Amino acid sequence: MSATAPSVLRTTLATLLSHYRRHPGQLVMLLLGLWVASALWSGVQAINASARESYDRAEALFSADLDRITRRDGAALTLDDYLDLRRAGLPVSPIIEGELPLPNGKSDGERLTLIGIEPLTLPSGASLAQQDGDANALRDWLIPPYRMRVAPDTLEQVRTLNSLPPLEITPDLPPATLVTDIAAAARLLDMDRGITRLVIAPEHDVELPSAFVRTSPDALASPGQLADSFHLNLTAMGLLALVVGLFIVHAALGLALEQRLGLLRTLRALGVPARTLILALGLELLLMGSIGALLGIVSGVILAQLLLPDVAATLDSLYDTTVSDTLNLPWYYWLGGVAITLGGLFSAGASMLWRASRINVLGLGQAQAWRGRLRGQLRVQLLFGGVLLAGAGFLWWYLASTAGRQDLALGFTLVALLLLGAALCLPPLLAGLLGLLARYLPRRAALLQWGVADLQLQLPQLSLAMMALLLALSANLGVGSMVGGFRLTFLDWLDQRLLADLYVRPAAEQFEDLEAWLKERSEVATLLPARSTEAELIMNGKNAGPVALFGIAPKLILRDSWPLLDTQDGYGAAWRDLIAGAAFINEQLARRQGLAPGDRVQLQGPTGLVTLDIAAVYPDYGNPRGEITLPVARLAREFQAPSGTLGVVLAPTQDRERTLTRLQDALSARFRLADNDASLIDQQALKQLATEVFERTFTITRALNALTLGVAGLALLTTLLAQAEARRAQLAPLWAMGVSRGRLVRLQIGQLVMACLGTALLAIPLGLLLTGALVAVINVAAFGWRLPLHVFPAQIAMTVALAVVVAIVAALIPAWRLRRVPPRQLLQEFAAA
Amino acid sequence: MKRLLAISLLFILMLTLGWQFWPEESTTATSYAGLGESSGDFRQARPGTVLSFPEDHGPHPDFRIEWWYLTGNLVAEDGRHFGVQWTLFRQAMAPSDPQQNGGETPWTSRQLWMAHAALSTPQDHRFSERFARGGVGQAGVKTEPFDAWIDNWSLRSVDDTAGFDRLMVTASGDDFGYRLTLDAQGPLVRHGQQGFSQKSADGQGSMYYSQPFFQVSGEVRVDGDPIAVTGRAWLDREWSSQLLGPTQSGWDWFSLHLDGGAKLMAFRLRGGNKNEEGSYLSGSWITPQGEIIPLKPDDLSLEPLEYQSVAGRDIPIHWRVQVPAYDLDVNVRARHPNQWMGTSFPYWEGMVDVSGSTAGEGYLEMTGYAGE
Repeated sequence: MSATAPSVLRTTLATLLSHYRRHPGQLVMLLLGLWVASALWSGVQAINASARESYDRAEALFSADLDRITRRDGAALTLDDYLDLRRAGLPVSPIIEGELPLPNGKSDGERLTLIGIEPLTLPSGASLAQQDGDANALRDWLIPPYRMRVAPDTLEQVRTLNSLPPLEITPDLPPATLVTDIAAAARLLDMDRGITRLVIAPEHDVELPSAFVRTSPDALASPGQLADSFHLNLTAMGLLALVVGLFIVHAALGLALEQRLGLLRTLRALGVPARTLILALGLELLLMGSIGALLGIVSGVILAQLLLPDVAATLDSLYDTTVSDTLNLPWYYWLGGVAITLGGLFSAGASMLWRASRINVLGLGQAQAWRGRLRGQLRVQLLFGGVLLAGAGFLWWYLASTAGRQDLALGFTLVALLLLGAALCLPPLLAGLLGLLARYLPRRAALLQWGVADLQLQLPQLSLAMMALLLALSANLGVGSMVGGFRLTFLDWLDQRLLADLYVRPAAEQFEDLEAWLKERSEVATLLPARSTEAELIMNGKNAGPVALFGIAPKLILRDSWPLLDTQDGYGAAWRDLIAGAAFINEQLARRQGLAPGDRVQLQGPTGLVTLDIAAVYPDYGNPRGEITLPVARLAREFQAPSGTLGVVLAPTQDRERTLTRLQDALSARFRLADNDASLIDQQALKQLATEVFERTFTITRALNALTLGVAGLALLTTLLAQAEARRAQLAPLWAMGVSRGRLVRLQIGQLVMACLGTALLAIPLGLLLTGALVAVINVAAFGWRLPLHVFPAQIAMTVALAVVVAIVAALIPAWRLRRVPPRQLLQEFAAA
Repeated sequence: MKRLLAISLLFILMLTLGWQFWPEESTTATSYAGLGESSGDFRQARPGTVLSFPEDHGPHPDFRIEWWYLTGNLVAEDGRHFGVQWTLFRQAMAPSDPQQNGGETPWTSRQLWMAHAALSTPQDHRFSERFARGGVGQAGVKTEPFDAWIDNWSLRSVDDTAGFDRLMVTASGDDFGYRLTLDAQGPLVRHGQQGFSQKSADGQGSMYYSQPFFQVSGEVRVDGDPIAVTGRAWLDREWSSQLLGPTQSGWDWFSLHLDGGAKLMAFRLRGGNKNEEGSYLSGSWITPQGEIIPLKPDDLSLEPLEYQSVAGRDIPIHWRVQVPAYDLDVNVRARHPNQWMGTSFPYWEGMVDVSGSTAGEGYLEMTGYAGE
């Protein structure tokens, strides 16, 4: 036995695989399912892995673990500040940082970060300071032509720049970052005596002169957590795609087994042991899985390459993190991709193996018995689905009732429970719907009656494809509503917040002159000065970390348009309170710290402890940090906030554009402000920038969403194709009874449209629930703000229409083939049936 | 001759700075091979050069290396002995200034500065080091009034009129610090041929003068506790572009204050001559009045008597020093072995006690002893 086993196995495997020679379509479908499932999943994972690698490099960079020192008055640091501190014995080290625009970057504004370090004073713990002890490395670094370090994935961009020092390749540098000696950096960035910041090792506990502020690295806004939520988002989308793809695989495998039952019985009857049979089937799965995984990973990487520049741009603009826009995939990525595809395949194939292992050698086809089993199966599905939905409901209630920080992972669990539960409930619900339909159809519409009954019979085969469609449709609807709602709210909010026509950020020493000059101008209606700084938040006597402080001028025009989410005694009272000494806080801070109007917070500022009453909570979309808003004068006085921006509101004028241009020109001429640097910003430009950031944020989501819907359509199509032959045998009697092929085709299309329509109708409430979960749970956990729930009827109609279109397209190919079948063949099939 | 030490310090610094701690294993004798490398277009120390002050108290940027090197033997009121070291090194990384082709910045400089400060207590040894680039003003030396500084460490004239005769020195590390006033009791002395000090048999050398007559008073701090001290200090000035012969591997250098007022400077460059045993010996006998008598290799003998393991190396901490012409035959012993400078370039530098034909005290510096 043991000697013959390999040859038996080989023969068995060859016999099993010969099935696909007769039905290449099934093979294609199986591989297609595996391919799309693993392609989307590995694409998303490739993006995540690549970004994670970039973060790791950024975190390893020196600045991540050093305290930084800046001037309290916000003025730029100079060489003299550095010398003063060094001569006072403080072990500070200067860093120059700036951006080098690329002359022919792929998109506008592509740039590299240039960091100039002073290696002789840089604290030794800083990883940037590490360097191979090559003989003349330090000498080469310190004197012309200097040296410049760059990561391999930035090399191509760097080569477009002229007059750089000789390059040294340093793989552990973050992408788009150049490091060189401070002398070279000062020349390239035209800094002369300027310094971007001073750093000091955290362990040096020294007393700083009061003109300087020290910030520890963990107090700086950490992009980590926010970027994490972004990636979790992507992962969830990828998982959805994987699940939908596995539905296809499951359908294909089920079909392949169904059609080979006879073959399996024959093999068993010929003496092939059950274990050998299972082994052969397992090997077949492994073979398919490996090919599918390979295809999937390769195309996943291609997909990731297409999406990565957008992801990188999003992360850059949203969280100020730099992600390489070329892929850097660690080894475990490849392993993980194969593992997840095979794992998914075996989970989809487990039922096939199980059924194959229980084949009754003497059993014959028992099509009718399936029907009885189906009812029981539907009940179990409904039960499981109900339990999952109940779990989702409980989770939602739990998340809604816990104020403060919410867990993003729990939010995604909620969404997953919701989707899976609904998907499980779909077949029983569809069956119930069809039952009702059958009951109320007119008795005389025999063909319709038959159509409904026949559809019920098809449900077991169709249900998986329908579930996939349901998931895709509701995800489409949910994400679409969320994005649409965000756009409405965000743009509206932008309009309210950016109410000045022009924003000017003068240098500290120019500020007063410029303000006085602007006040004199006739075209200026009012000025809205704003400042920002930060302070330590004290909650219950404990330091809760730094919080951003924002100073505004509470003038009438601002009060009229500044939206508030929640106040203690109404809108007007909140503003009176603000002027009288209270504060506003943003939604992010309110949620994170569990604060509400009427509560009190304490701030540790440069002049001591300040206690503030909270008068209102305002929305602050897109801001990752908690923020407290105070009147600008108070911020300058009590928190020594540096001079900030001046918002210029123009007096009503006939030609806003011309007036604005004139004012900009005058400002540039008088104060040497150039509108191409950050000191002069047109409101329109600012809005455009914000909108761009916003659009980018959702590019990926939408792309994945569309792909998922495509996969679901594919699942439906492949399911129909796979059973087209069997279906023809069922349709043949009808044709024999005189129903024309044209009617049969219409009937078939009608059946499918009905099923899809039913699915789409169920997808609507599910999609709305999903939107609710996204705006009320996921967004809050991920970004710290909640969006109002918007419903877009046109979008819902589009989704339903989309389902119908998918159904028609999917039904069209089998229907077209039915039309082309010669009557002789139909006759044969009728005889066989 | 700490000078030598310093030289290699700076060279090794270049070789290794690695920007971080150079592993101690790499300071084996082979590392010293680089010290003999060609000096390119740097200016060379030559016999016949006339020293002139105060200009020569200041930096000589066209020479490769230079230092201001102070050591002091101090005693507290309760009789405890302390030793201090304050050293500022300058190194030119290129023979000439970078091309002034526009585009240069305040940070551009070919000069590199390094400083070591140490305090030896009766039980232990504390030290600290600093680095700075030239040009920006973080470190430097000015002559009128004299001021040599790096960060908040400095060696400078107590006032505008004191010149080089009355100096104030300060430095501090995490666990020590000192602030001392130095009062010269004698003249500057020029070593070798009017300040040209030969460093190998084939004639290369350095410009070298000293002020060995400083009377010291002031305060040292140990873990924050101030201790009043008085004593003697020795200041060396040396600059060169190449000091070691190609095969010289390290050196032992003595600066001794002898009872009766005479001073002895003596050094041994190990392995310098053609025969393996041969080391290059040299020195200066300084009379209490400040007259200097150069000692040729045959005029003196330096003989290690006892080795002890310090920081993983065998270091001679007990010597016999003889200068027959002046009837000098003394034992020179480290006050304690643990005076190791664990700086980027590590070496032994510490206070010694002199006994024998005459008593005294001083400083000993030893470099180039290979680790395990």
